[in-house]
Amino acid sequence: MNELLQTYPEEVKQILAKYPAEYKRSAVMPLLYLAQRKEGYVPRQALEDIAEILEITPTEVASIVGFYTLYYDQPAGRYRIQVCTDLPCALRGADRFLEELCQRLGIREGETTPDGLFTVEAVKCLAACHRAPVFQVQGDGEIEYHENQTVELTLAWMEQVREKVRAEKEAQS
Amino acid sequence: MFKGLLTTLKEWAGKPVTIQYPEEKRPVRTRFKGRHVLKRYENGLEKCIGCSLCAAACPADAIFVEAAENTDEERYSPGERYARVYEINMLRCIFCGFCEDACPTEAIVLGDNYELSFTDRHQSIYTKEMLLEPVPEGGKPTPQQTPPGVYVRAVPAMQDPQD
Amino acid sequence: MANEVTLTIDGKTVRVPQGTLIVDAAKKIGIDVPVFCYHPKMEPVGMCRMCLVEVGRPVMDRATNQPVLEADGTPRIAFGAKLETACTTPVSEGMVVITQNQKVASARREVLEFLLTSHPLDCPICDKGGECPLQNLTMGYGPAESRFLFEEKMHLAKHVPLGELIYLDRERCIQCARCVRFQKDLVDDPVIGFYQRGRSLEIVTYSEPGFDSYFSGNTTDICPVGALTTADFRFGARPWELKPVASICTHCPVGCNLTFNVRREAASGGKLVIKRAMPRQNELVNEIWICDKGRFAYHFVESPQRLTQPLVRKNGELVPASWEEALEAAAQGLKQAGENLVVLAGGRLSNEDLFNLRKLADAQRGKAILYTHMGGGDLTQQVGLTPGSNLGSLGKGDAVLVIAADLHEEAPIWWMRLKAAAERGAVLVVAGARPTRLERYAAKVMRYRYGEELNIIQSLMDGAVPELSQAENLVVFYGAEGLDLLGTNALAQACATLLYRSGHYGRPNNGLVGVWKEGNAQGAWDMGFHTVGNYTRTLSEAAAVLIAAADPAGDDPLLAQALDRAGFVVVQELFLTETARRADVVFPAQSFAEREGTFTSGERRVQRFYPVIYPVPDCRADFVITAQVARKLGHALEMASPAKVFLQIASEISHYQGLTYPRLAEVEEQWPPVGRSDLYYGGTAYDNRQGMGVALPALCQQQGWQLPMFWNDRLPERTFELAAMNQQGMVWLVPFNRLYDRGTTVKPSQLLEKRMVSAHIALHPETARAVGLSGVEKVQVEGLDGPLPLVLDETLPQGVAFYPRSAGVPALAPRGVKLHAVKAEVQEG
Repeated sequence: MNELLQTYPEEVKQILAKYPAEYKRSAVMPLLYLAQRKEGYVPRQALEDIAEILEITPTEVASIVGFYTLYYDQPAGRYRIQVCTDLPCALRGADRFLEELCQRLGIREGETTPDGLFTVEAVKCLAACHRAPVFQVQGDGEIEYHENQTVELTLAWMEQVREKVRAEKEAQS
Repeated sequence: MFKGLLTTLKEWAGKPVTIQYPEEKRPVRTRFKGRHVLKRYENGLEKCIGCSLCAAACPADAIFVEAAENTDEERYSPGERYARVYEINMLRCIFCGFCEDACPTEAIVLGDNYELSFTDRHQSIYTKEMLLEPVPEGGKPTPQQTPPGVYVRAVPAMQDPQD
Repeated sequence: MANEVTLTIDGKTVRVPQGTLIVDAAKKIGIDVPVFCYHPKMEPVGMCRMCLVEVGRPVMDRATNQPVLEADGTPRIAFGAKLETACTTPVSEGMVVITQNQKVASARREVLEFLLTSHPLDCPICDKGGECPLQNLTMGYGPAESRFLFEEKMHLAKHVPLGELIYLDRERCIQCARCVRFQKDLVDDPVIGFYQRGRSLEIVTYSEPGFDSYFSGNTTDICPVGALTTADFRFGARPWELKPVASICTHCPVGCNLTFNVRREAASGGKLVIKRAMPRQNELVNEIWICDKGRFAYHFVESPQRLTQPLVRKNGELVPASWEEALEAAAQGLKQAGENLVVLAGGRLSNEDLFNLRKLADAQRGKAILYTHMGGGDLTQQVGLTPGSNLGSLGKGDAVLVIAADLHEEAPIWWMRLKAAAERGAVLVVAGARPTRLERYAAKVMRYRYGEELNIIQSLMDGAVPELSQAENLVVFYGAEGLDLLGTNALAQACATLLYRSGHYGRPNNGLVGVWKEGNAQGAWDMGFHTVGNYTRTLSEAAAVLIAAADPAGDDPLLAQALDRAGFVVVQELFLTETARRADVVFPAQSFAEREGTFTSGERRVQRFYPVIYPVPDCRADFVITAQVARKLGHALEMASPAKVFLQIASEISHYQGLTYPRLAEVEEQWPPVGRSDLYYGGTAYDNRQGMGVALPALCQQQGWQLPMFWNDRLPERTFELAAMNQQGMVWLVPFNRLYDRGTTVKPSQLLEKRMVSAHIALHPETARAVGLSGVEKVQVEGLDGPLPLVLDETLPQGVAFYPRSAGVPALAPRGVKLHAVKAEVQEG
């Protein structure tokens, strides 16, 4: 019944162990990370699953997904390239960087590349203004910073990632 | 006496002021306030959204409105609400035009028709069908089937409320 | 009082208790501080910033801790650099508050300008238009023009059904969170919540069905804009076109005060119709809330299926007849029966109807019987709550016991008030055979097996919960779940004994309350009705039966057979029920919305209801029908008006002494003010101007303890042997209550159709295995018609089969039965 519990029985147990039994609703945030580990977003069913584990309503779980920007309710690419475009970054050319990057990739901001690997998004402050243009990459359960970027650098890095993914696939088959 | 007869003779020779009503009708002045007309948009949808503000403004309590909900399958007016029942009691109406002023969608307009006569009180109640203007050319009669998400605004955006 | 502080608001000095918020203190002296997110029934959050005021506090000398004085001897006041929110700031000694000056006015104007940036301009079609706080406060304090660009208004979804009862308009929402906080804090149903944040904030629901709460309608009352509207009233009329009429909800024993809004409707041929039901404030009964059943399940009064003319059986067929003909026929039949007359009445009738019915029974030397399986009404008269009681005042030091009742399903507003009492510190003890929603707030949950209810009372008398026996005040709510008439009688006696032994009777906030199934069951007991254990025998042995507002034949096939054996049957009803179909004479009765009368609530408060709509032509009020039948039989009963019948009640029934209609219509000042010109403060619930009712005294107050001691020593351990029954392969068949059942007065409200419970049998999986029903989809209950779907539920107790009451399972009281599997039908072709 409970997919999340079935997929990650150990992880759920570990997370719950961190919180006192009467405050187990506090475990909602780590459980949401767990839920979006596989697909990069929190599917509808996971809301129900988490609600059931924590004995709260799915609506309460959903409102947490909605409030925090690092939880996603829509599927996207495997890697999310999140470019900060706040004022200091923009002064260092972040908005131009984002525009050009999208142009070169042939997508609009918020969209995913045709191979389904990258989603480009604009976000608020990443606390690295002095090294702008800067973006963070979310994917595979990790967060990684890329600072002092140019479009060329970014595209080269993306090519590396593509190469890596291709190699993974070959190794699997 | 001749003086008086002369006036008569003069008028006899001149153009008569009477007209052959009802075959002939005299045009009304621009600000004439006659029987109400409920307007339609060009596509045939009714302008009236059943808000009942005309009834609230009416000093003679002559207007009765009952609203219902539009759907895209059965749409009478833009937005969610339309007038399911719209009645004006012409015996009560004093043709003050407050309803026209109160209307947020310019749906009700006092028209040119002054031929209001009835033989019993029931006939003095004009229903929505009687008040609605004919469907303009190119438009469709209501209810219409409309694509979803198009007619979502009940009150048209008026940039300058002075219009 | 020591805990009071003095402050000055706009030059007026006021003394209020410590901890009062500035906004409430101002309201008490008639100064309006506009609010959107603040609601006097909820904790403040300070989200909307509409209540900003200028606050100054006396400057204290740090060395002496004395106020610093100006040259003229007045204390020096230091005003803050910024404005403060009046809804989150508690008052303090010597505080000076200014709610009217340039600074405050411009703050309000600008807050409104922000709130209106994306608020749509659709007041003309908005259901709230005309009773809208945002509209009113914009007129009062807002800017005439906005500096924001019209093109930049956000356009959001305007038609979002949050379930089938409540609709959301995302554009109109001003994000005050009143609805979210009501659902979370007041009724603990956090099924709506905020999604996203900042400008994209929106209300969502993920429950199934959407907005799954019994209290959802209240959010539309407190919503300060038209963002939440009910499906029932959607575009029904503009608020200023509606006429308010006071009434009382009949669906449960709480007796919530209602206001019906009526208007003539062309679609109904110009008739006066009910457009919506709204709560009417009575802080002693329902405060400013009602449940969704009260709000949406009134449609039965306007059902086209209502009886509209008398029917008389001729040649075996019920045919329409004139009133004179029908009265004559009824009188003839009753005359022949003589003393062997049974008057059977349901608890949804008014006191006046029940009084006349009982008088008729007395005059004919017949029996007046209340159609119920729950006893103990004679005890609630003796040791019920007394005048001065208020569930809203229970708190620290007080205790409440709830036994054999599921208040969330049976009396939601009691559930809400007891939950609040528990949160204020009252000791709540919930005893039940299965888990119920109230247990979440209980200090102690006591679980028993059906039949062992008295054991719980005994253990409480032995001091199992010392906080309960030693409490300052104790209120006991007893229900009838899993109990038949004998069982409830015994339980009520045990509860009365408990109250007696711990001395919790005869004073305010102490006593016994019955969780009746019908709204006026307590009134029926008061009017002199009694119960019988065996309806089958009573009905089948009667030479004549007069049934009013009850449907025994529809409830139970055994009773239908009994009725067929009874001599002459007269029925007063709203609908052509199974019972009416079997009658010899049927009289069409008026519903409570068409006439005047009084109901007595479970807390024993007598309350008046008023005529709301015009009567269905040719229907008569029950007390009139009874009196007219009586007149044919040669008895003079009062039928001129309900008020006159009530005068008789007051003169004949001791604890109703001194009550008159004008007294029941008296009101007193209530806090918080609602429904007046300041709708922004308390919402659109109606101000009570038509009467708050009068609480009846408990008889033990007047006469001392009159009850016999039922048991001198220990209570019997159990009322029946569940284990022995199980050993014989039988299960105890227990009806449980669901708020949305399919009873005669609920079913016609089609809006609730999806949420109404459907007929089924529920078992614990273990029990199913024990009686050989594992893997079976449908079961046949011995003695009942037709197979029923089987549902397995691990939270239920074992050895018991459950079915929803009034949902199509034809059985009335609990009994032991055998269950059989029904083979799946082989589909043809």
